Amino acid sequence: MNRRKFIYSVGMTGMSLPFLDAASAAGQAPKAKSVINIFLSGGLSQYDSFNMEVDRAVVANSKIISSNVDGVRVSHYFPTLATQMDKLLVINSMKSNQGAHPAGIYKMMTSYDPRSSITHPQLGAWVSKRLTTPQDSLPNFVSIGKGSAGTAGFFPGQWAALPVKNTRTGIDFVSRNAAVTESSFKTRLGILESLNGDFDQEYGTKDTRAYANTYKGSLKFMNSKDIDAFDLKNENKHIIDLYDKQEFSRSCMLAGRLVERGVRYVKVELGGWDYHDNIYGNMPANAGKLDKGLSSLLTHLTEKGLLDSTLLVVSTEFGRKPGVNPNKGRDHHPDGFTCLMAGAGVKAGQIYGTTTKDGQSAAEDVLEVTDFNATIAWKLGIDLEAEEMSPSGRPFKLADQGVARKELFV
Amino acid sequence: MSDGKRINLSVLLVTIAGNAIWATAGFAQSSAISEHAQQIDQLVAEQLQQVGQDPRPGIDDYTFCRRIYLDAVGRIPTVDELNSFVADPQSDKRFRLVNKLLDSNGYQSHWYNYWADLLRVKYVGDKLHHPGNYSEWIKDALRSNKPYDQMAHELINASGPLYKPGNGATGFYAREPMPLDHLANSVKTFLGLSIECAQCHDHPFDDWTQKDFYKLAAFSSKTHLRVDPTPDLEKKKYARDRKTLKNKSFDEWIVYRESLRVKHAAIYGNGTGFMRLPHDYQYDDGQPFEAMEANVLFGKMPELAHKLTKAKVDDLAKNNFGPQINSRESLADWMVSPENLMFTKSVVNRLWHQVMGTELVGPLGGLSQDEMGTHPELTQELIAIMKATNYDLKKFLGILFNSKTYQSRSLALSADAPDYLLDGPIVRRLSAEVIVDSFLSLKTATPDEYVATKFRWDGFTNFYETSQEMGVEDFVNYSIKGPGRGAFQRREEVAARKRNGDIGPKHLWRVSCYGHVDGAHHVAMLLGKSDRDLIDGANREPNIPQILYLMNGHLEKEITKQPQAYLHRKLDEFVNPEDRMEIIWKAILGRLPKESEKPMVSHDQSDLIWALLNSNEFRFVR
Repeated sequence: MNRRKFIYSVGMTGMSLPFLDAASAAGQAPKAKSVINIFLSGGLSQYDSFNMEVDRAVVANSKIISSNVDGVRVSHYFPTLATQMDKLLVINSMKSNQGAHPAGIYKMMTSYDPRSSITHPQLGAWVSKRLTTPQDSLPNFVSIGKGSAGTAGFFPGQWAALPVKNTRTGIDFVSRNAAVTESSFKTRLGILESLNGDFDQEYGTKDTRAYANTYKGSLKFMNSKDIDAFDLKNENKHIIDLYDKQEFSRSCMLAGRLVERGVRYVKVELGGWDYHDNIYGNMPANAGKLDKGLSSLLTHLTEKGLLDSTLLVVSTEFGRKPGVNPNKGRDHHPDGFTCLMAGAGVKAGQIYGTTTKDGQSAAEDVLEVTDFNATIAWKLGIDLEAEEMSPSGRPFKLADQGVARKELFV
Repeated sequence: MSDGKRINLSVLLVTIAGNAIWATAGFAQSSAISEHAQQIDQLVAEQLQQVGQDPRPGIDDYTFCRRIYLDAVGRIPTVDELNSFVADPQSDKRFRLVNKLLDSNGYQSHWYNYWADLLRVKYVGDKLHHPGNYSEWIKDALRSNKPYDQMAHELINASGPLYKPGNGATGFYAREPMPLDHLANSVKTFLGLSIECAQCHDHPFDDWTQKDFYKLAAFSSKTHLRVDPTPDLEKKKYARDRKTLKNKSFDEWIVYRESLRVKHAAIYGNGTGFMRLPHDYQYDDGQPFEAMEANVLFGKMPELAHKLTKAKVDDLAKNNFGPQINSRESLADWMVSPENLMFTKSVVNRLWHQVMGTELVGPLGGLSQDEMGTHPELTQELIAIMKATNYDLKKFLGILFNSKTYQSRSLALSADAPDYLLDGPIVRRLSAEVIVDSFLSLKTATPDEYVATKFRWDGFTNFYETSQEMGVEDFVNYSIKGPGRGAFQRREEVAARKRNGDIGPKHLWRVSCYGHVDGAHHVAMLLGKSDRDLIDGANREPNIPQILYLMNGHLEKEITKQPQAYLHRKLDEFVNPEDRMEIIWKAILGRLPKESEKPMVSHDQSDLIWALLNSNEFRFVR
């Protein structure tokens, strides 16, 4: 009745027609068609990555290197991205009110503080609910990676993310069982239809029909011409060659393929950033993954001509403290952290906002999580004022009271 | 039916006492149960008569057997169980089966899933809240059939160490340690009222004001979860070593901190009877930070042994709520009192919903005070029965199960169905856990074999016990020479597992046996099992990943084509395809094949099994 996770439902059967978002703000800059959100769970250290605009001591053991944009510097852990900073907007003034992982992630994903009386829909679920049309053959919220998939909160389960836990195995059970021949599968469906028809005569309800419809939707999905998007082997060789073989890179490639097919919101999770100890020993490997995967994705989107219509967002639940602790790690720091954006007309090659020089807090152009999410949704052309009712009849807005920061775009 | 005098006498005894006098002798008990069941049937019949609707027809033994297994023990019957029930020639066989099932291990397994969803049993890592002990407490309450009012009282009033075996009721507070959120949850859980809006502002459509909320919160004020040792202990014993370790090695410090927490995490405080209005209180009838004396939402206010007057508390510092006076216990008294109509109405509404598939009164977590549902006399009667059984959940369920109302043809709620008059069960999808556990009835002849019959240890309870003998030095040694950060919990889990002995192979466990170290049951999650973030968080909806699993997933390997599965061992007893078809139908659908289905016998056996497992008839109860 309330919370639905890991669920993608009858959206494609035409059973529950999603409404088109006609109420989007008119006369604005061109809209983004899709969003790719690379989410760095655990809390990216802004001072060992993209915020070098602080006292040297704050950057500690990281080395500062220049990039292909004058005045934009990054840490030496991101040598490849340093050659692509002209495509990225660095936001150094992010601010959250949550300092623990689950609450911080929840806030970032939903724009709300976690409460035990309600689960709010994630941004991807809002996007999917607002923008899905009956013509779409793929779900509009896909979540790639091992972390938790995207919940639809109090929305019906059909708006939750379709999870792809691993790019090598793809979507679980989307292919017919190897032990079952095609003709046998057909026979089975025939018997099933006859049993269900019979049962419905006496015991049919809207729930039994919803099942029948979801079977149809699932079969349609299994046979969809777009299902091959999930198989990376089908990609052009020169795109495949942009990427290395690591799972995160493959996830980025899949995200690129999905937005090419029109999927509206793709979340890719890369975890492991919670370096309370030995950050300089442990972070390089993870930073390498991000450096390579994200750079390849930027090239991929550019080559396919998708970067203008895709808003690429790199975010995390909070940053890390300016001081290195006795265990040579950095602790949680929600007051002043860093996120990145690219594509969709964002002011690339720039830095937005500052922290104080001692790295303690966001200073100029502070960007709260709600405003950050409002900005993403606004760019997709979604009306931020539209309300959805929770089961108890309480109205909620996509980004709570968040206001879009339009100045981030050209 | 039976001796009228005797029945009247038992009713008399029950009514006079208000709280039941239940004879323990088998016959008297059975007559009391059927007497109450008849009262339900009588009221249902009267209502049907009034609107001129025919009573629903009864159900055959096959339908009854499948339904009662699903509702009492949470799985379909095995072929043997079904056959033996159908073959039983005695006229009281339904009554006996109900009793047998309510007394079986399956009852605990099935109803644990229900209560664990309501009570939100879940591992919340960052708050060091491990729910093993809490979970065991609930299982034990079900095993011993602890009266529901006592169960609720213990949950509301629990205090002391979180991981002390037997003290798991503290898990209820620890699960939501924010005092105001905790209160709103408790009221929703036990009274079926939704008052959480009043936490921040006067309730928009109910009567509750923000002030009412704070007055109720006053009962449990200053109750809190503390995971670290008390400041006193900390200062005298642990602080120095903690600091040394932190500067020396992060891992050693973490193990020191976490192991101390397992010993010391506890619920403190029992209520001061005063609360303060919030800093932003916006109404004219009070000032920000004004002291509020405890008061109930309705009904009789329990007496509190206040040591200070409101005026005195108002004079204290803003964070001082006065001395502890054990007012939380009074809150528990008020909540579970038989005079608190909402308490009994809510649980009756919940159990009816579980058994019949619809609400008796109104939304499970959104009742209103004067609402009595579409059949107020029936609601009244069920409340009286619950009180008469002394909140004995098994007896109450036994009464429902023995009613003709329950044992009647289920109704498919649809546009062209007759008006639904709470006259029996409705067609509905099985819960996620019941579907998964029903697969088990096809895999093994003994699906309840590995349901726990006694307390099970986990890493936290195990270490809690070990740590009782440990002094400061031992903790220091433990963290320096111990297994290290990552392995700390694992090592304790291994020790606990050894202590528990043989608990069977995982693939033959019921869903309820999955603990908190094993992670979520993936298939059950796909089918809508609650993730226990919210009260009543389960759903019964289809979704594409779920259907893909049912069509293309592991069932093929585990059941459809698995020669070792119990279903296939049963099939091996027959060669004739018609006989085999009968086994498949009985095993999966709990009935014989219909005439119209008999031509299907020509199909491949595995195709039939697949189709039945995927059918609506399998996952819906009729």
